[in-house]
Amino acid sequence: MPRLRLKGVSKRYGATIALGRGDLTLMSGEVHVLMGSNGSGKSTLSKIIAGSVRPDDGVIECDGSVVTIPSPRAARDLGIAVFYQELSLASHRSVVENICLPRLSGTGGLFRNRAGMAAAAAPFIAPFESVLGDGFGLDVPVGRLRADQRQLVEIMKTLAAEPDIFIFDEPTSALDRAQVDCFMTVLRKLKAEGKSIIFISHRMDEIFEIGDRVTIIRDGETVSTSALADTSMDEILRTMTGEEAPGPAVPAVAAAPHVARQPSIKLKVSNLVAPGVNSVSFELAAGEILGFGGLHGQGQSAVLRALFGTAPTRSGDIEVGATRLKGNSPRASIREGLAYVSGDRARDGVIDGRSILENTVPIYALKNHLITASPRSLGTRAADALEQLQTKYQSLFHPISSLSGGNQQKVIVSRWLMAPPQVMLLDDPTKGIDIASKTELFRVLRDLAADGMAILLYSSEDAELLENSDRVLVFNNGRTVRELRGDERTRYHLYHAAYEAA
Amino acid sequence: MSMPQSTSRQRSVFERFPFIPALGILVALLILNGIAEPRSMSYGAITGLIKTYLALMFLAVAQSFVVFSADIDLSVGAILSLVNVVVVVLIERLGGGPDSVLLACLVGVLVGTLAGVFNGLVVVGLRLQPIVATFATGIVFTGLALWVLPVAGMPVPQAFWRTYGGRIFEIPFVFYVVILLAVFIWLAVRTKYIIELMAVGDNRLAAYQSGLPVTRIRIKAFALCGLLSAFAALCIIGDTASGDPVVGNAMTLYSVAAVVLGGTALSGGSGSLLGSAIGALILGLINSFVFFAGVSSEWQNFAQGVAVLVALMAGVLVTRRISK
Repeated sequence: MPRLRLKGVSKRYGATIALGRGDLTLMSGEVHVLMGSNGSGKSTLSKIIAGSVRPDDGVIECDGSVVTIPSPRAARDLGIAVFYQELSLASHRSVVENICLPRLSGTGGLFRNRAGMAAAAAPFIAPFESVLGDGFGLDVPVGRLRADQRQLVEIMKTLAAEPDIFIFDEPTSALDRAQVDCFMTVLRKLKAEGKSIIFISHRMDEIFEIGDRVTIIRDGETVSTSALADTSMDEILRTMTGEEAPGPAVPAVAAAPHVARQPSIKLKVSNLVAPGVNSVSFELAAGEILGFGGLHGQGQSAVLRALFGTAPTRSGDIEVGATRLKGNSPRASIREGLAYVSGDRARDGVIDGRSILENTVPIYALKNHLITASPRSLGTRAADALEQLQTKYQSLFHPISSLSGGNQQKVIVSRWLMAPPQVMLLDDPTKGIDIASKTELFRVLRDLAADGMAILLYSSEDAELLENSDRVLVFNNGRTVRELRGDERTRYHLYHAAYEAA
Repeated sequence: MSMPQSTSRQRSVFERFPFIPALGILVALLILNGIAEPRSMSYGAITGLIKTYLALMFLAVAQSFVVFSADIDLSVGAILSLVNVVVVVLIERLGGGPDSVLLACLVGVLVGTLAGVFNGLVVVGLRLQPIVATFATGIVFTGLALWVLPVAGMPVPQAFWRTYGGRIFEIPFVFYVVILLAVFIWLAVRTKYIIELMAVGDNRLAAYQSGLPVTRIRIKAFALCGLLSAFAALCIIGDTASGDPVVGNAMTLYSVAAVVLGGTALSGGSGSLLGSAIGALILGLINSFVFFAGVSSEWQNFAQGVAVLVALMAGVLVTRRISK
């Protein structure tokens, strides 16, 4: 009898289907790898098992009987513990307190027992004893630890819940090889004890090292489950992307092959290091659209934000045109000709409650050191810029909130076009935008590139990224692992690179 | 296991005892008071100071619980007022004997706790912003207090305030209460509950994902806040010896200031109960210092405000220096 079985589980948010039909059968004593491309639904599936997302439909069976998992607490009571990719630690609490937290109230007594807690945590810290590194201590607040140490604490916390079913969602992204080896030893021991483990990772070598079976999800549906011994990386990637290995490239919309002939470098980045960015170097030529791809959150956005000067720390060399970028602030980046458009319009773009005009002119005003603003003269310039993107609006004086998401984003792009930048940084710019506006936006971007602008594009939609980029840099763990050119720009190659050993 | 170096051990001392900067400020203020007016450091003067600010100490400790979980309660002053009039009116109705005083106090503590539970249900159950929700419930509590006792002035039996202001075995009664508060704090910081509460304040989603009963933990914090606000009310009755339906309303933000002075972050997840009690004393000493320093009456508010700002800045600077 399977330990856990999901049959036809689904979840939708409004019109978006996050998971259409999730099936999963988890046996005792196995490491079950869950794989899928970005947005395929694998994290929704694991969140349903963790109890933090309630499915709309489908059946969950635990040890043969039908169960509902309405909360993480209920999941815990069923013997399920989760390693959260974004970690679930309290940064002001000590290592011991964090490890013991989930089981704190379960054991009797009103008062905490320091020695008891330390003793309870010890067996879960012990396997990592040799790889903990400097500054680790039982009483150290978790917020003081390094990223890899925090990840180890999250692992220990998951282990300390002593569940029967583990979900590990990207547990090794910050760990070094020795730390991973310790973790793998622990996993093998758990497996031998008959525990069930769901394992999500972007490191293919680990997947084949520890995994027994793999379930692949594509576009919200479970497409296959097979034994890892009977399959290969190629076959997994083919199933995951639904593409053949050497398959034809997605025809890019007016890809510009002539670009390479006039290599006027607009942006040169060397050894960029910032939070989430691990020494990234690349060059971007005039007229080129360079895409940033890979699994979500591998440093694509972080590079763009670091270039724009919003990261708290940054090192490395950045040259825009012929000048070296000095200050680490958006102001300095704007002055050197960088522009940044984010998909999170509410946070990074729209000036809420103000008119369309006021939302269009600020960069122009900043760059031209305008002291007074005349709505009439600015209005005509703004209208021109908005016209270039075919923005639909009633009047410049209507609030920006009167526009659809797509048109709001066009206003933001127009803002930059009023004083054209050298390099445009696009951070998932089409998030929450309708298809027509997307197409329109990319047509304009292609025109801008043809006029000599250089564009960096990160998109969370793989198809959009592959279609619109001349080249694609694939990110893994804050580094670029591969560059895809020409016919290589396929989902297959993208994921092949994304899952390559880090 | 690698041991933390001496610098990080030094840090962790401050991290474990976030009230240390507040303690420093308290000592500095005691010295300043002593310089400005040596008599202000006499046994009697200190007793008087504690007698006056004991209610604020309770209120600050009450506020700490909700602040730990990244909430805030702007109704603590109104709860205090409500309990104050409920107790005073009950004593009057029940005849004023020792039994009636005890019963009225018990009812008062119950009323305070219920008011706290009500706050918790409104904020956590209805998912309202604590700052506005408790602002509104505070007005409701004030309305109830005005219904119970429309005008200030009903006196309490002599025995009540004589006890509060008196001595037992030659030691002032309020000192026993301070010891009681200290014991309560000593016990409270050793509960498992406080670890869970801090974890909720630190990162609510993470705590939920860890399987903690976040809703129950937050409501409990509001209940504890109401309970301790009721104790603050009993202290106020002992000090003022009468009922007043708005007596505590001005104290609400003082309690928040005391919490912050005591080294607790309003963003939740870290702080100290003892620090909040010290913070309340700091506010008291600032007021007495301004008085003893001979600031003319029309400038006293101004001077008090500046002094509180200086104390806050001193606390922030010390904490920043440590965490560097």
